[in-house]
Amino acid sequence: MLQSKSFVKKTKQGRVVKVVREHYLRDDIYCGAPSCKVCDTSASRLSNSASTILIVDTNVVLHQIDLLENPAIDDVVVLSVVLEEVRNKNLSVFNRLKALCTNSLRKFFVFSNEHHKDTYVKEMVGESPNDRNDRAIRVAAHWYQSHLGENTQILLITNDRENKRRAVEEGISAETVESYVRSLGKPDLLDLVVLSSSADVNMEDVEDHRPSKKKVIYSEHKPMSEITSGLLCGIYHQGKFRVNRYNPFEAYVGSESIGDEIVIYGRANMNRAFDGDIVAVELLPQDQWHDGKSMIITEDEDDEEEDVHLAPSSADDAPRSVNPVQPTTESVPPVSNRPAGRVVGIIKRNWHSYCGSLEPMPMPAGNAGVAHALFVSKDRRIPKIRIQTRQLENLLDKRIIVAVDSWDCLSRYPSGHYVRTIGQIGDRDTESEVLLIENDINSRPFSTQVLACLPPLPWSLSSEDLANPNREDLRHLRVFSVDPPGCKDIDDALHCKPLGNGNFEVGVHIADVTNFVLPGTPLDEEASQRGTSVYLVERRIDMLPKPLTEDICSLRSDVERLAFSVIWEMTPDAEIVSTRFTKSAIKSCAALSYVEAQARMDDSRLIDPVTTDLRNLNTLAKIMRLRRIKRGALTLASPEVKFQIDTETHDPLDIGMYQIREANQMIEEFMLAANISVAEKILNHFPLCSLLRRHPSPTKEMLEPLLRTAAAIGLDLDVSSSKALADSLDRAVGEDPYFNKLIRILATRCMTQAVYFSSGDLSPSEFYHYGLAALLYTHFTSPIRRYADVIVHRLLAAALGIAKLPPIFQDGPQLTGIADNLNYRHRNAQMASRASVELHTLIYFRKRPTDTEARIVKIKSNGFIVFVPKFGIEGPVYLVPKGNNGSDWVVDEAHQRVTKVGTNIRYNILQTVKIHMEVVEPQPNRPKLQLTLI
Amino acid sequence: MGVMAAVGGDGDGELVTPGELLGDSSKMIAGRGAYVAPNGRSVRASLTGIRRVTHPQPDAADQRSIVEVVGHKAHGAVPQPGSVVIVRITKVMARTASADIMCVESKAVREKFTGIIRQQDVRATEIDKVDMYLSFRPGDIVRALVLSLGDARAYYLSTAKNELGVVSAQSIAANHIVSRQLLTVTVILRYC
Amino acid sequence: MEYVDSLTGFRLDGRRPNDMRQIRGEIGVVAKADGSALFEMGNTKVIAAIYGPREVQNKGQQANNQALVRCEYSMANFSTGDRTRRPKGDRRSTEISLVIRQTMEACILTHLMPHSQVILIEFLVHILLKFFMYFLPKICFLQIDIFVQVLQADGGTRSACINAATLALADAGIPMRDIVTSCSAGYLSSTPLLDLNYIEDSAGGPDVTVGILAKTDKVTLLQMDAKLPMDIFENVMQLAIEGCKAIAHYIRGVLLENTKQLECRRGI
Repeated sequence: MLQSKSFVKKTKQGRVVKVVREHYLRDDIYCGAPSCKVCDTSASRLSNSASTILIVDTNVVLHQIDLLENPAIDDVVVLSVVLEEVRNKNLSVFNRLKALCTNSLRKFFVFSNEHHKDTYVKEMVGESPNDRNDRAIRVAAHWYQSHLGENTQILLITNDRENKRRAVEEGISAETVESYVRSLGKPDLLDLVVLSSSADVNMEDVEDHRPSKKKVIYSEHKPMSEITSGLLCGIYHQGKFRVNRYNPFEAYVGSESIGDEIVIYGRANMNRAFDGDIVAVELLPQDQWHDGKSMIITEDEDDEEEDVHLAPSSADDAPRSVNPVQPTTESVPPVSNRPAGRVVGIIKRNWHSYCGSLEPMPMPAGNAGVAHALFVSKDRRIPKIRIQTRQLENLLDKRIIVAVDSWDCLSRYPSGHYVRTIGQIGDRDTESEVLLIENDINSRPFSTQVLACLPPLPWSLSSEDLANPNREDLRHLRVFSVDPPGCKDIDDALHCKPLGNGNFEVGVHIADVTNFVLPGTPLDEEASQRGTSVYLVERRIDMLPKPLTEDICSLRSDVERLAFSVIWEMTPDAEIVSTRFTKSAIKSCAALSYVEAQARMDDSRLIDPVTTDLRNLNTLAKIMRLRRIKRGALTLASPEVKFQIDTETHDPLDIGMYQIREANQMIEEFMLAANISVAEKILNHFPLCSLLRRHPSPTKEMLEPLLRTAAAIGLDLDVSSSKALADSLDRAVGEDPYFNKLIRILATRCMTQAVYFSSGDLSPSEFYHYGLAALLYTHFTSPIRRYADVIVHRLLAAALGIAKLPPIFQDGPQLTGIADNLNYRHRNAQMASRASVELHTLIYFRKRPTDTEARIVKIKSNGFIVFVPKFGIEGPVYLVPKGNNGSDWVVDEAHQRVTKVGTNIRYNILQTVKIHMEVVEPQPNRPKLQLTLI
Repeated sequence: MGVMAAVGGDGDGELVTPGELLGDSSKMIAGRGAYVAPNGRSVRASLTGIRRVTHPQPDAADQRSIVEVVGHKAHGAVPQPGSVVIVRITKVMARTASADIMCVESKAVREKFTGIIRQQDVRATEIDKVDMYLSFRPGDIVRALVLSLGDARAYYLSTAKNELGVVSAQSIAANHIVSRQLLTVTVILRYC
Repeated sequence: MEYVDSLTGFRLDGRRPNDMRQIRGEIGVVAKADGSALFEMGNTKVIAAIYGPREVQNKGQQANNQALVRCEYSMANFSTGDRTRRPKGDRRSTEISLVIRQTMEACILTHLMPHSQVILIEFLVHILLKFFMYFLPKICFLQIDIFVQVLQADGGTRSACINAATLALADAGIPMRDIVTSCSAGYLSSTPLLDLNYIEDSAGGPDVTVGILAKTDKVTLLQMDAKLPMDIFENVMQLAIEGCKAIAHYIRGVLLENTKQLECRRGI
């Protein structure tokens, strides 16, 4: 069965080493066609009646993946040589292709031609690897044709002219993508076809309608060899290209070689780089280093400007401070010491598909219905994309997805192609869908395989569960839960029992999700992929299927549920005497909302047991909270907004800040304590593979904007430690009650976000959670909506010896990968929530122009940024009409104020101003909220 | 060969490798190339070779057969065509001399191999004028080349090369006679 | 990195997870030695030579009336891609020498000196001996030297060395309880893989090397320098044992073929 063939490969590893690897050729690889009489057809994927089987060339997969994803294309054989080439050239396309090949609905078959004894080809002398691979594809196509006989046509799809010519010479039928799609007779498919401008395709196949602008707009990218040598000798700097979220004409490249961020201003210097690309940058001469422009309005003729948006909640969301530290002596001309540069080459593209809409344009006449349109992405960091379409009138008022194909230096905009339509612009469902897609959130219903993992419904506590010696029966305890109103996925409940010795027994009971979500099942895989539930204003996208989320796991009142409990004995001073963990069965007696709980505690007439428990818990929580704050935990504030939604139209009726009550803090306190106890326990048992959560201390630079603001208003903040910062935040009390909160909000947005990590990846000193001032922290208390908690539940169960540790924990890199995915999903979920709030804010104000109070949070040369406490939004207010750069307003950086020349009119930071809010639509299909000073 | 006389029966003559089960210790006694496994029951091979079973005499006290494995290494080296051997002449006749092979290359043989040096193989030139009686005497140590497997009884040997021939001989007066190639002799003698 | 292609189920070199590399054994490759063999597992190529049984050369080494088995493992400088000069007797080769020696000791019955052989067998029959030590009934102490050298390294050298040594011992006619064979198996991409090659070996995953007495089903070698849950470990080890058995089957074939040819030459 095995035949061996060694081949020789030279690789560069500093030196040239000859690598000899075995390459086995086999005769047990099947063709995958069910009609085949020779092969084992049990694993065949192609359709039974396939009269034509397509074999795709690598360039087709790389450029036409959107077309391949369309269900109209089927019965495709993907050769392993193609797969390998795609993997090397573009990982994201590879992953999409892989998904296609594993999707049971699609008829894509992977044929390992490289290991088949008849289709393996050896590189000939003088043949380039590319030619060899092309030949391998042809040999495989030929094999298929002779293997399956005359009844099945094998069609090689290639856009490589040479390959096609040779294939035809060798007697294989071959077509270009365009001509094949045309032969299918589905015009809408043609929109998906990427027209390549390279010489690969016969010109007769491509109708080049592009306006022939022969003006060179961008400088040519340097060839790769030059970039590599340039990087080596330090002329160029490599880094990830990040476009300023708030100004698409400004980007940063974090360069390790110069240890700073290089700023890139303007489209010409950005030289066709997209956000996320890995680029090579050349530094500009120092005299061209712009001083940090603190203009809100951008320089280009494109009238893009800063939108009103939700106030950022952490430094990760906030725009990087544009202006560096200004020299305090004002006589010195403001020369920036921040290096500026320009992109000379792109090392790795980060192109994917983007959501947006077409720029309105008149219907072109004639031209066989083919129209060129400009696509405007919702993501402002992405430039406009030129696409070609045959269904312009359908698309003009739609949200569509477009993928980028190329961007040559002759055209101002990149060219791309239409992928699919989401729906009507402005429609709430469409827009929600858009923000889900933009944040890479999977909102598809759960697959049947996943649903098959659910226990049969209706589920109820069984005697086996109780008979389990590891499960303690705690149904006799008076357990209750406190959650936001309307909460259906209740994952935590509490109990508090006075003990004879004056101490309290306090229990935190968390839904025992891992009892239902077993490692390695499709359900587990799906949950691990989703990572977290996503809460939008009008809907929730669950991590686990609904029966688990709302019923089986949810610790509802008056039903028996399985739980994982942390039980402490606490002194009346809230000192923990002992901690124990156990799986349990509980029966909650009340599911309270925060408001109810607060009302019960406040109502001194009530002396029922639950209320007494609540009061006891609250007393303990207050002591714990005080102690935590003494230790240096930060009380941070973020402007959380709450909508009142019309139950029928789902339109927002009212918005306001979310009010935090004592009851919220009480629950939070016990959850924190439970998380910390669990973190200690699992780290103790599994020092190398525990999933923990850390919050890095903010660096000096990150706190800079806060310090500048504080200095301007004469506030002295000590940021040397979290304790010092917490204390000085406490001292920062202004004349108005909102002042302190505002400072806290500003402080919060200087922090980075907390992240999950595997304890094996970092040293213990890095485990610190800055915000909570805790040495160790993890997430244990919300397993229904966060996958991290599921992992921690498994770790804790293994630490207690109840369950075996799943093998995944042995695999360090895989665990790191999971943690990274969780961070990514967590962040995206937050972004989606925020985007959803922004969307609803817009919908709300569309009908209600409002006057309100706002606070200035940032001073710019032509205006300032205000924060509207009532609605939690932030946006620019212009003092100067747009386009008028000759401003008569003067910015005083040191005092953070802007003054009108020759007058006494000035605006200070944190000052309260009256503004008018109204939705305007300066560009069609891009409504935005405008703030104007009254 | 001596062993061959008294053999026969179950699985006899079969090739076995170490570890292979030869039989049960209640019926078999482990002979050469066999051992009783630590469990005390099974008899297994310890060598690669041919399985031989010797049945007991009808009147013997132990009625078990003896099982042996005759490995090739038990015979020591085996002469092959082309190999250089050291032989001791046993008998000289008019046209041939018979000899016992003592060493194959540098290794001693463990069994008796007989070789024959024919008149035409004694030297390369004037082969018809060779006088066997003048060439060899019984007891001479001779370096020879194996020409072929010969007939059933003996290998055909040759001394028809410069480096071959008598290396050590005894005169009738029992004096040590040194051969024509002193150097080779000393080397070869050490090998012997 | 993906060591098992999730789409095709093949490993990087075209094997399936349960496939072994191509193996080849050849007997009698060193004329001077009393027994010798060459063993290849894919691109791993190992030569083994046996000297002995012979009298103990260095009297200081004989101890406790115990037959002396010595083993020297070395790697040819040209055996890997980079031709670095490696010092003799570094930690790694000392360790592998020891591993091979212990594994082989477990299967060598004793040196069988031609004259004391019968007595010794009798001795063995009546007094069963401890696993490793065979007390010799007489004054004469003998030693067996096993030399193994890696000519080409591509993962699994330890296993290949043991297999080569087994073949060479059998060739030397040294009595053994059984044929020891060895094979490795690992756990990568959540799949148990048989007979890791160099790339898979250096992936850093768990790697189990097993040596067994094929006929008697006894484990003589088990090495793993990683953590693996018990149930997975059992699967991986079972896979390695299957591999050992397949190798044992092949080695038997080589030995029988070789014996047949020798018998043929002897004209029997």
